[in-house]
Amino acid sequence: MSQRRWVPARAALVVLVAILLQISLVNELRIADAIGDLVLVVVVAAGVTGGADRGAAYGFAAGLAFDLLVDSPFGLTALTYALVGYGVGVVATALQRTSGWWPVAMAAAAGVAQAVLYTSLGILVGVDYPFGDVPAIALALALVGAVLVVPMEHVLWWVHGAPEADRLEVVLR
Amino acid sequence: MAISPPTGSRTRMLVLVLASVTLVVVGLRDVPVVRDVREGAATVVSPIEGAISTVTSPVRNAWHGIIDYEDLQRENERLQEQVAEAEAADIGQTDAERQLADLSASLNLPFAGDVPQVTARVVAGPRSNFSHAIEIDKGTDDGLVVGMPVVTGGGLVGRVDQATGGTARVELVTDPEFRVGVRLATTGALGTASGQGRGEALTVDSSISPSTPVDAGTGVVTSGVDRSAFPPGVPVGSVSTTRQGPGGLSLELDVDPLVDVDQLSYVTVLQWQAG
Repeated sequence: MSQRRWVPARAALVVLVAILLQISLVNELRIADAIGDLVLVVVVAAGVTGGADRGAAYGFAAGLAFDLLVDSPFGLTALTYALVGYGVGVVATALQRTSGWWPVAMAAAAGVAQAVLYTSLGILVGVDYPFGDVPAIALALALVGAVLVVPMEHVLWWVHGAPEADRLEVVLR
Repeated sequence: MAISPPTGSRTRMLVLVLASVTLVVVGLRDVPVVRDVREGAATVVSPIEGAISTVTSPVRNAWHGIIDYEDLQRENERLQEQVAEAEAADIGQTDAERQLADLSASLNLPFAGDVPQVTARVVAGPRSNFSHAIEIDKGTDDGLVVGMPVVTGGGLVGRVDQATGGTARVELVTDPEFRVGVRLATTGALGTASGQGRGEALTVDSSISPSTPVDAGTGVVTSGVDRSAFPPGVPVGSVSTTRQGPGGLSLELDVDPLVDVDQLSYVTVLQWQAG
């Protein structure tokens, strides 16, 4: 019970630290002329460890906070992160695998999905994001996501307690 | 193994999507509450961001050392060549500088002249892949107001699009949302330049007939027409290519910006306000 009481505070702390590191450090570390996204990694890890609901909730909350600090249309990051977090959660639950190479593959796929989704929805609401930038952005998001998702899973386990993988295994047994 | 989430989960997701879409619609209407909250967030985060940025600078430097090594090597060779050329051209340059100063004085260019200026340091680059804005260390306390043009000695950088007490955000010329009225330095033909993203040339929708030749390298400056958000004569870029616009009725120009917005350390805000 006492563990659960701290979950919201820990979750907020993780999202806040990820956003601050993103805008003060990660945005300067360019890969193939684009930058990785630490906040997206948190969202993906949330989806992998906690399923669709947790992925979507983290995506919406983290995206909304991030939207306050960027010059892109307000709410667009919240929308795309929520969709990506939800999608990752649905796939992770269906595959019933939250360890090994699956999170890495899902994080890479989520990076590509985020790049395409954000550009497409941006264009839909009237911002002329060039589609030519998508491959470089997708590559950077996929690489950073693939590298950092496993350590980030451990951070999410610290927030929410026992790994969802263990719970799934118990259920399956 | 069906990929099908529970109905409750789908409902909750639908609520989040609707909430996000509502926020996007509200944000697009530039509602004051959203603007105020964003400015408040920028005010709170800016000092923390600066502190983290200082602490993590060794990481950044190490990264650039690894990733940009070949670029640095080429840059080093290029600079060495430039130093040699500069030494040889020193005498001629002094004369050229005198002529340029005389020319500026005689033409009384607003860009070079009497618009009050505030020099600011760039404290942060774009915060995401879809951001085309930088942060500077001057704000409303220094007299900055949203909409003011931002330049360097090389030409137009962008304009202030958010200002708090001690910081401001500058929308760069490369932002797809950026628009500026321009004219060709040679003929005075007018057009509207718009950003096309990082590293891309600006596109100018001009009023020039498609049959009119426009040479590559032709200078483009801000038009400063009535109530313009920018003073006239600020250098923007040079024409790289031309093509027929939609319908074939006018020319469309690609213009390479004069200022490399990825390499900015200091900028100057012109305290110019439209109309």
